[in-house]
Amino acid sequence: MTTVPTSGSGGAVYDRGYRPYAGELGGRSAARFALYRASIRRAVGLRRSWRQKFFPWLLLAVASVPAIVWVGVAYITRNTPAQAVEIITYREYLGVSTALLVFVGLAAPDVLCPDRRNRALPLIFSRPLTGTDYVIAKVGAIGSVVFLFSFLPQVVLYVGQLLVSDSALDYFRDNLDVLWQVPLGTVAFALYFSALSCAIASLTTRRLIAAASLLILLLGSSALAAGLSESTGAPAQSGGFEVEIDPEQLGGAETDGATVGGRIGPDGTISPADVFIFVEPSSPWGAANLLAVPLHVRDLIFEGKVVEPYLAGVDWAGPLAIGVYSLVVLGSLGLLVWRYRWLEP
Amino acid sequence: MAPLAEIRDLTKTYPAKGSEPRVRAIDDLTVTLEPGLIGLVGANGAGKSTLFRILLGLTRPDAGSVHVAGVDVAHDPVGVRSRLGFMPEHDCLPTDQTAADVVATLGELAGLPVHDARQRASDVLDLVGLDEARFRPIEGFSTGMRQRTKLAQALVADPELVLLDEPTAGLDPAGRHEMLELVARLGRFGISVLMATHLLDDVQSTCDQVVMIDGGRLVGAGRTDDLLETSGVVRVDVGGHGEQLVAALGPDATLLPDGSVELPVADDSALDAVVAAVVDAGLPLHALSSRRASLDGLFLGDGAR
Repeated sequence: MTTVPTSGSGGAVYDRGYRPYAGELGGRSAARFALYRASIRRAVGLRRSWRQKFFPWLLLAVASVPAIVWVGVAYITRNTPAQAVEIITYREYLGVSTALLVFVGLAAPDVLCPDRRNRALPLIFSRPLTGTDYVIAKVGAIGSVVFLFSFLPQVVLYVGQLLVSDSALDYFRDNLDVLWQVPLGTVAFALYFSALSCAIASLTTRRLIAAASLLILLLGSSALAAGLSESTGAPAQSGGFEVEIDPEQLGGAETDGATVGGRIGPDGTISPADVFIFVEPSSPWGAANLLAVPLHVRDLIFEGKVVEPYLAGVDWAGPLAIGVYSLVVLGSLGLLVWRYRWLEP
Repeated sequence: MAPLAEIRDLTKTYPAKGSEPRVRAIDDLTVTLEPGLIGLVGANGAGKSTLFRILLGLTRPDAGSVHVAGVDVAHDPVGVRSRLGFMPEHDCLPTDQTAADVVATLGELAGLPVHDARQRASDVLDLVGLDEARFRPIEGFSTGMRQRTKLAQALVADPELVLLDEPTAGLDPAGRHEMLELVARLGRFGISVLMATHLLDDVQSTCDQVVMIDGGRLVGAGRTDDLLETSGVVRVDVGGHGEQLVAALGPDATLLPDGSVELPVADDSALDAVVAAVVDAGLPLHALSSRRASLDGLFLGDGAR
C-alpha cells in the first residue's frame, strides 16, 4: 500500500486499488424508487439528527391521540349507555388529518427546495431519471408519508373499536363501508395536499417561504370563499335567538348545521311567522375554499353528498367539488412537470 | 479497441433570449475519444458544459450524433447516464448530510442496490481519501474535501466514463495537485475520464488525450504526446556563444535570452547540418534538443491542426 502525498486539508489518500462493480445496475424505475425512498427518509427524519426526527413523529403522535382517547373512552364506558354515543366518526377523523397540514407545509419544501438551492439537480439528473420521474418520486414520497400519518390513527380507531365492541363480528359487519371509504378518502386527502405543497415548494428555494405560501394560499382561499359565500349565498339570520337542533326533528331538513331561530315580538311571544330555520350560507363560491376541497371529496366518499359548510346544499356541489379537486391536483402536477421540464429527454 | 465516444457533426444553438443574441455553443464538432484520460480544453464559454449536457442526454443537439460506450445518446438519453459519472463544477452537495449518505444515495439513484450502494460509497470515499471524514456533515468540509466528495459520487456506480467539469476549480496548489493525482490514478485503474478545464497545464500533466475547442469548434485533438512533439524546432546550447552560431546558421536561427539558439528544422536529417555548423564555427556543443510544443501554443494557433 502506498500513500500519495496530501495537504493538511483532507485525509491521506491510500492506494488500495479500485474494485469494479460486478453486479447489475437498475434502470429508470430503480432510480425513481431510490429517489422516492430517499425523499421519505428525509421527510420523516431518518438518517438525520434527532431534532429533524422529532417533529414528524410528534405529529403522528398528535394525530393518533383522538383515536387512542376514543378507544379508551369506549372501553371505560362499554357497559353504560354512553357506549351508544359516537364521539368521533371515521369521516370526522379524516378531517382531523388536516392538522397534518403543518407537516405537509414543512416536509414538502424540505424534500424539494434544497435540491434547487444546493444546485444538486445536475447531480440527481446525471442518473437515469427524467423530470417526470423526479416529480413522481417527490410527490409520491410526501403523499405516502401523509397517507401513513392519516391512515394509521384510523387503523388504531378501527381496531380499538373492534376490540371494545360487544361483538367484533357485528362491528365488522356493521362497518364494512369504512373498509373502502377510509383508505379512499385518505388517498384523496394525501394526493391533494402532497401535489399542492410540492407544486408551491417547486417555485422557491427557500423552505420557509414555501411553507408560508402554502398556508397563506389555503387560509386565504378559505377566508375568501367564506366571504363570497356570505355575500352571495343564502342569507344568514341574526337577532332574536338561535338554537342548534337536530334538523331531523324539524321534519328532516337535509343540511347539517341547521339552526332554528325566532324573533320575539313586543308582547314577549313569538308569532309563527317569526320562527325560521336557517342554515349556514352556501354558494358555489364555497368550492373555492382550497382548504376544504379534500373534505368535500371526503364527504362525497362517506356520505354521497357535500355536507361541509359553504358548499353544502348547493346544486351540483359534488361535481363542483370533484372539478376543483381535479383542477388543483392536475394543475399542481402540471406545474411540477413544467418546473423540471428542462430535464426531459 | 472500440472508441469510448464518437461525436459526429454535432451542432447546438441556443435561441436568443431577451437582449442576449442567439448562441452557437457547439459548431459542427466531430471527434472520436479513445478510452483513457482525456482533457477537454477550452476557454469559458467554449462549449464544454454544453458538450457535457449533450453527452449526458440532458440537451438535444440541433444536428449530428453522439455515441457513448456504444449507446446512441439520441436514442437512449436516459439509459446512457447509467454508463456515465458526472462531477459538476459548482457546489452541488447537500451540506446537511454526511458524505457517506450523499454518495450512497446517489449510488442508489444510479441503480445500485441499497447495500451495494453503501458499500461502494465507503470504498470510493476511501479511494479519494475521505475514509475518516465520511460520517461528518459536508457543511464542515473544506473545498478540497467537497471536490473529492463530488469525485466519489461520480465514481460510485462504476461508470465507463467519468465527466469532470473543472475538477481543480477553487483549489489551492496542493489541493490541485492532489486532485490531478487522483484523476491520474483513475486512469491507472482503467477508468476513462473526460476532464473539462481551461487550465492547459492540468491537461498536459495528467491526460493522455486532448480535445481543444473554442467557440464550439474543434481547435485540435489527438494524443497529448503526439501534439507536443510536433513543434519542429531544435534548441542548441553552445555555452553562451549563441551570437556566433546565429551568424553561422543564417536568418532562420533565433538567439534566446539565455544565450541558446532555436532553429526550425524540416526533419531529423537537418540536425546533421546544425551539428556541422557548430563544429565548423569551432563552438562547444553543450546540448541539442527538440523543443516540445506547449498546449498553450497549440491552442493559440501555433501548430494547431
